[in-house]
Amino acid sequence: MSINNLIIAVIAIIAAPIVGGLLTGIDRKITARMQNRFGPPLLQPFYDFFKLLGKQGIAVNQTQMVYVMGHLFFAIGAFVMLVLKQDLLMLMFILAFSSVSLIMGAMSVRSPYSKIGAQREIMQMMAYEPVLLLMVVGVYKSTGSFMISEIFNHEEPLLYSLPLVFLAFLYVLTIKLRKSPFDFSTSHHGHQELIKGLTTEFSGTQLALIELTHWYDLVLLMGLITLFFAKPIWVGILIALASYFCEIVIDNISARVTWQWMVRVTWVAGIGAALVNIVWMYLI
Amino acid sequence: MDWYLLLAAILLPALSAALCFTIKNQKLRIAIVSISTLLLFAVAGGFIALMVKSPDGKLIFHLEHSVLEIVSWVIKALDLILFCYIGYIGLKHKKAIVFILAVLQFIPWALFEVFGVFGKVHEPANAFVIDHLSLIMIMLVSIIGPIVTFFALGYMKEHEHHLHLKVSRQPRFFMILYIFLGAMNALVMTDNLSWMYFFWEITTLCSFLLISHDGTEIAIKNGLRALWINSVGGLAFIIAIILVNSSLNTLSIQEISAAGMSEAFTGALPVALALLCIAGFTKSAQFPFQSWLLGAMVAPTPVSALLHSSTMVKAGVYLVVRISPAFAGTILGKLVAIVGGFTFVAASAIAISQSNAKKVLAYSTIANLGLIICCAGIGTRISLAAAILLMIFHAVSKGLLFLCVGTIELGIGSRDIEDMQGLFKLMPFTTVITVIGMISMLLPPFGVLITKWMAIETAVHQPLVLLFIILGSALTVVFWAKWIGIILTMSYKPKFHIEKLSFSMKAALSVLIAFVMAASIGIAPLYNQFVKPQVISFKMADMEELTGTGLGIWLHKVDSAVYGGFASIMFFAVILVLMVAIPIISHKIKPSRLKPPYLCGANADDDLRGLEFISPGDKVDTVVVRNYYMQSVFGENKLTFWVNAIAGAVIIIMLGVVIGL
Repeated sequence: MSINNLIIAVIAIIAAPIVGGLLTGIDRKITARMQNRFGPPLLQPFYDFFKLLGKQGIAVNQTQMVYVMGHLFFAIGAFVMLVLKQDLLMLMFILAFSSVSLIMGAMSVRSPYSKIGAQREIMQMMAYEPVLLLMVVGVYKSTGSFMISEIFNHEEPLLYSLPLVFLAFLYVLTIKLRKSPFDFSTSHHGHQELIKGLTTEFSGTQLALIELTHWYDLVLLMGLITLFFAKPIWVGILIALASYFCEIVIDNISARVTWQWMVRVTWVAGIGAALVNIVWMYLI
Repeated sequence: MDWYLLLAAILLPALSAALCFTIKNQKLRIAIVSISTLLLFAVAGGFIALMVKSPDGKLIFHLEHSVLEIVSWVIKALDLILFCYIGYIGLKHKKAIVFILAVLQFIPWALFEVFGVFGKVHEPANAFVIDHLSLIMIMLVSIIGPIVTFFALGYMKEHEHHLHLKVSRQPRFFMILYIFLGAMNALVMTDNLSWMYFFWEITTLCSFLLISHDGTEIAIKNGLRALWINSVGGLAFIIAIILVNSSLNTLSIQEISAAGMSEAFTGALPVALALLCIAGFTKSAQFPFQSWLLGAMVAPTPVSALLHSSTMVKAGVYLVVRISPAFAGTILGKLVAIVGGFTFVAASAIAISQSNAKKVLAYSTIANLGLIICCAGIGTRISLAAAILLMIFHAVSKGLLFLCVGTIELGIGSRDIEDMQGLFKLMPFTTVITVIGMISMLLPPFGVLITKWMAIETAVHQPLVLLFIILGSALTVVFWAKWIGIILTMSYKPKFHIEKLSFSMKAALSVLIAFVMAASIGIAPLYNQFVKPQVISFKMADMEELTGTGLGIWLHKVDSAVYGGFASIMFFAVILVLMVAIPIISHKIKPSRLKPPYLCGANADDDLRGLEFISPGDKVDTVVVRNYYMQSVFGENKLTFWVNAIAGAVIIIMLGVVIGL
């Protein structure tokens, strides 16, 4: 790894949470306006983050923090792989490690809510992993390489050859961001039957780090959308922002579905759409 | 020097077997097993040293014609005894199919080997040829095998204690274990297909003897099932030998491997290769032949560990990988890849519905063997490298995990995953090792995942196979993540117990976990030193290349452009940071800061586990949460029939295609 790459990685690691936090702030603002509320200030996610950091450290067992750190570090790792234009397929697997780490953390405590949230998160992973991997295959069929750097050398935007894969990815994005209608492993409102699901038993610094990881994930996923229109990149960024706005709208207009429904629909429609696209890529 | 080493690899286990059987004293047995373990390590080391020195990456053992003749007849005589013994087992247990299959194997064998009805038998003069693939197998057999045997010292003592035996049956047990190891070593070293068949049959017989070791009704039933299913493979094997001999005029395995490139893929050779693959499928428990391996878990745990990791099932994939260059890129290769890929996804799906720890491991073994066979069928140099690397990683990790489950079972008296809640406080040592072993099976940057990643990247030209691998890896995450979550569950104020394990068990687990870590961290040197020379020496059309340079592994196209790669070392650095963080963090938290979890009501006062709460009506209730098993979708009884039907159909299609070629 050259010095150049190192500098890029460090800048990215510092910049990503700022962008992610701002996006979350915008999300909250827009959501509030959609619900006829005034909403918190744009920087509220950062205030929340620092407040959580300052809280008294309370744990439900001694090991929780380790899983949270695994969750964070591997999310950062996946993000750095994107920034350094590494192997896209391995990036997905690294991202999976990050998710599994949080699941282990949630299952390590005796709380039933946390455990149910973790079980549902596993089901989510089972549903969306194949779609993500198929997306990578689609990218290979267009560019002839698994390296992200080749996407940037590719003349034609991926969106033209992979429209259905793109749609399947957008669908999976909702699951991955745990937004409604797929917010069944954890929810934004603590007073439901699930309490806070996956994150019920995390508090203080731990919760702050989980939020930080979420920002990294958010920026990473936006980056993956951008890949579909990598040249010129500002179009890709616009598409990513538009997609994010769609996610917020969907979040606000839909009610939670059951995880069984989600798994079925994702395996049939999500994998189906991606497969159809890839099959025609094989035939041309 | 070379010859001594070769003989030691085969005859040393045989000698240990004889000693273990005749000497009934426990202390002496410990001495024999310990010394044999060290000697077998030395044998493996000796072969590595010889291989490093040899210029062309092959150790060839040439036999004079007269000596070859004698050894051949000795093996034929032993073969005959073997047939008689298997037939006798069939008669003794009144299992007709075992007897019939023994006779069915005996007839073509006798006509071919003894009476020469099918023409001259072309025994290769180079009786033993050891290349890098053989060397890797020798390392697995002679390093993991003895470790498992050593573990068995402590385990069998407790096992027999639980069974209340009057006379110890350990002498018999250790004897069979050592015969097994010797036969495996011979099987991977010989270049003569008909000799390989003999050692192949010995492993079949040994697996029957080991599975039925406890002598219960179910043990004998499952042992007989293993025997007859593997005899089906044996039958395919002997027919394949006859076809190979007539079509290639040689029984040299090396030449079979190179045969595909020199001649058109027609005639009897494709049929022979397909039959050899089917023999491999039975041994490696691919669908629809999987039931014997699932039944094998009634045996004492060291047997499962041995069958699943370095011996028996690995013999099957060894054979398929060995001959795969001959059918690389052909229709047979594609069908083999489909059989393997299908097994991978089907076994992973069924594993989700299992709560029996050993069964989960068994299905995971079947799935991984499926992936190895799938890689062999894909038929690129990169896929073969993935297959060989997966053989290594899987053997080490799965051997370890079986020993872990055995240890846990002795500790808590159950092999149900749901009973393993809170295991961390009861058996901290075993739990940590088990979790690392499991993580090494499913997450990056550990080796098993890296081979999966390589498989996907190289399978990209075969869409159906690709889809199988992708779905399979998603399902794999589910059953491992559920299990890991359960055993890591901890109370908020756990009282840690000090774990009492016998030295032999503790040593075996520690050594194996060290191997797991070392193999995954050192994947690049491991590949460069042992796998790459083998993959390059295969005669195949595919010219894509895998290199292990810098911090990881890189995939190159024909024009040497990188199209995939992963710097695994970087992520091991992250894992190292986490491992250092664990003790620091757990010491930093003051006990007063540990609070019970939220349980839908006030927590009961004196409950240290954090499981009891005051429910409405002031009743104390306990929280019970179970994992999702989704029996209605992935249940064994739901899927097995259909999966077997589909896999059987594909195999019949495979036979039809090769006969039609």
